[in-house]
Amino acid sequence: MSGKVTRREFFKLTSAGAAAAVLTGCGPASRYVVRRPYTNMPEYNQTGLSTYYATTCRECPAGCGLIVRTLEGRALLVEGNPNHPVNKGKLCARGITAIQGLYNPDRIKAPVKITSRGNESFTPLDWNAAIKVVSDALKNTPPDQIAFLLGLVPDHLLDLVTELTKTIGAAAPISYHALATFDSRNTLLEATKLAYAKAAFPIFDLGQADVTLCFGANFLETWLSPVSYSKAYGQMRQGRFGKRGYLISFEPRMSLTSGNADEWHPVIPGTEGLVALAIGRLVSQIKGINIPPIFAGVDISVVSKASGLTEADLRHIAALYANAAQPLAIPGGGALGHTNGLENGQAILALNLLVKNTAKPGGVFLSPLPASGGALGEVKKLIQQMNDGNVKVLFIHGVNPIFDLPGSFKFKEALSKVPLVISFATYPDETALQCDYILPDHSNLESFGFSQVLPAGDRPIYSASQPVVAPLFNTRATADVLLAAAQAAGGNLSILRYTDQVEFIQSRLISLVKASDGLYTAPDIETFWTFWLQYGGWWKATPALESPAASGLLEKTLSISAPRAIESGKFFLVPYSTQLGDGNGANRPWLQETPHPMTTAMWNTWVEIHPDTAAKLNIKNDDVVQITSPTGSIEAIAYLYPAIRPDTIAIPFGQGHTALGQFAKGRGSNPMLLIESGLNQAGDLALGDTQVNLAATGKQQKLARQESITGVYGKH
Amino acid sequence: MIHPIPLWQRTWVRIVAGLAVLVLLGGTTGAILLTQIPPEQPIKFPHRTHVGLGASCFYCHPAAAWGPTAGLPSSAKCWGCHQQIQKQSPELTKLAEYVKNDKPIPWVPVAIQPDFVHFNHRPHVAAGVKCETCHGDMTKMTVAEPQPRQNMGWCLDCHKKMRLDNFTYLSDCSICHY
Repeated sequence: MSGKVTRREFFKLTSAGAAAAVLTGCGPASRYVVRRPYTNMPEYNQTGLSTYYATTCRECPAGCGLIVRTLEGRALLVEGNPNHPVNKGKLCARGITAIQGLYNPDRIKAPVKITSRGNESFTPLDWNAAIKVVSDALKNTPPDQIAFLLGLVPDHLLDLVTELTKTIGAAAPISYHALATFDSRNTLLEATKLAYAKAAFPIFDLGQADVTLCFGANFLETWLSPVSYSKAYGQMRQGRFGKRGYLISFEPRMSLTSGNADEWHPVIPGTEGLVALAIGRLVSQIKGINIPPIFAGVDISVVSKASGLTEADLRHIAALYANAAQPLAIPGGGALGHTNGLENGQAILALNLLVKNTAKPGGVFLSPLPASGGALGEVKKLIQQMNDGNVKVLFIHGVNPIFDLPGSFKFKEALSKVPLVISFATYPDETALQCDYILPDHSNLESFGFSQVLPAGDRPIYSASQPVVAPLFNTRATADVLLAAAQAAGGNLSILRYTDQVEFIQSRLISLVKASDGLYTAPDIETFWTFWLQYGGWWKATPALESPAASGLLEKTLSISAPRAIESGKFFLVPYSTQLGDGNGANRPWLQETPHPMTTAMWNTWVEIHPDTAAKLNIKNDDVVQITSPTGSIEAIAYLYPAIRPDTIAIPFGQGHTALGQFAKGRGSNPMLLIESGLNQAGDLALGDTQVNLAATGKQQKLARQESITGVYGKH
Repeated sequence: MIHPIPLWQRTWVRIVAGLAVLVLLGGTTGAILLTQIPPEQPIKFPHRTHVGLGASCFYCHPAAAWGPTAGLPSSAKCWGCHQQIQKQSPELTKLAEYVKNDKPIPWVPVAIQPDFVHFNHRPHVAAGVKCETCHGDMTKMTVAEPQPRQNMGWCLDCHKKMRLDNFTYLSDCSICHY
């Protein structure tokens, strides 16, 4: 350029540049965008806007209400339903991963025939052929040789199968669930019947209690209805102005609940009932009342020696309980899952009867909903029948017995004696691969249905399930398959004349249509159905807890046998449930990645050993240790855990799969292989009675932890 | 001393500059033109035929009545009638292809505002504003045509006719810009 730029030139240049810039910016960039409304969009959907559906979680039997956010036919996010009485808008880690169940890459996408059991080589089948397999089995097999094995949810399928088996004269379906085993629900129901004259789920009003004795009930993690009780726990601590509530926990290993408690007493496993009796006797003395017969026979010093609690501790706890305005005692699986579990349960519930907290705020109520504990006794009988060759056709839905039953039950061996096994599994789990046919059910987020058996239900509830997306694959609702097969089989099965499962579900809901005390009323079932889907179910508008009737439990004499003494060189084994639930959570990467709340370990199985014990056995962190019981042996990675009795080890349950997809397979080990098959009086597994040997193997394997391994307990 | 010709007086500079300005102007005119003419749609959907047959706007765009955007119908809506009404037309052949292959139809949006404007149909429909007020006379259009000069001033022209307290409510910028 020549010399200086004049003012005139400057203005010319800048205005030309500005004009050029402005002119090129004209026109919306969105002109080059394209909208693709999806091909089969429901009327109420909008491209670009989310649609929310209310449904019910089926990751565990608690049955929390969900609101699932979807966008253009894809599920995005699972949240709790604020209106639902069980969880009131909150959700646990497992519920959130329902999405990973829906979009799991290892799902079974179409009905298949398994040419040879145990092999993952599938022969595809079309649904007509699949339904014919079922209808032929129902038609041509003597009814007393047909068996159904179901998980504890959902209830509409249980109702349908019950009706079906009653019609043909086959045995009623058998239901069980691993979490029910960990909670010892049969024992809880039986103890409740003895204490409160009804086998219903007790509702412990933790939110209003001021001193709570928790015997092995890990309500912050997995017990009964963790979301509901976690909310109540928050209420207990912060819900009432000036009152923080006091929690005392009794279990051999510190769970999240014990970690949050004000006092944790590591009792010898199985002595919780004795401790309860001792506390009951001391409380009666402190209150200056006649000691009820149930607490009269107990000797404090004997209990102290048997349980490991000092007499001073017992007196201190009794004083707190006796002087509390709203005392509460809760029996959990840790106390009930023993040979003496039913006695333990009665002793603990008797503590509630002693302080007369029945049907009072902070006390014990009964749930009005039907209750189920999981029929392990029936499962054992079924296995016996299978071994005797008396079962020709077995249908399995919603449960993985080869994995979640103790290895000592030998379910896999019994299964090999059944000529035809049909699975309705959604994922290729261990049991499904040992069947002859897999006729995959929809995943939970693609299903209709309802659930009624909800352990924390405080009123009559029918919790609804509805599909939040169109089924992704060529799966079919098991209820629909059974209805179609019933029609094809004909004969006496043709009375099951429902067009599909929706008609069946509606037939079960008809009685609610005119109900006046519910969330909504409707003049007919079609209108009722629209509200049903909108709200995610029907329940009574206000809580309707039952006041238990009086029973004479306090007047009974109860003698609790002390648990088997620890054999020399052995350890008490505490297997416990984690966010992996009944083991199905292992194929959800989000759950695998979730650090365990107490150890922060992930993606593997570990064994918690007290550091003193580990030092004596020369075991260090990340050593691979072999754990042996009379029934089996597994290996796990050592985790030095000070918050456990030195004579006890604990192993989380959920890993150790040999199938169930890429995220679960070949990872960790299954402590159920160590458990003996003895059931207690109420029909629950004596889970806490196994004693094991521990031995270093010399191998090492790094355990993935979120925490620093040397952090607090190592060298700095 | 020789005085060289200043840069801006040299012929070749003037020719190049002139060409550059012409290209810019041409590009700009083209861009503005593109925003004013109806864009090329994958199927030349004739609104005037369907409106002439009595179809209500809300039959295909129900969300205008209850939501922020009117949305576009899915091909299932078209196929509902056209699986039976098979007039021989290259456009219907195209529709059949899309439906057969289960592919979504890539419609180009027409009545769109810049991203910082959030227009909500529902209050307008509830107030009784007719669709053709803003979108033009559909009895004369095939594919949707952008209506010229639909800027904020044009919106306010209509809103000034509202009741005073309702109009004042709109003085909060964040009602439309959020």
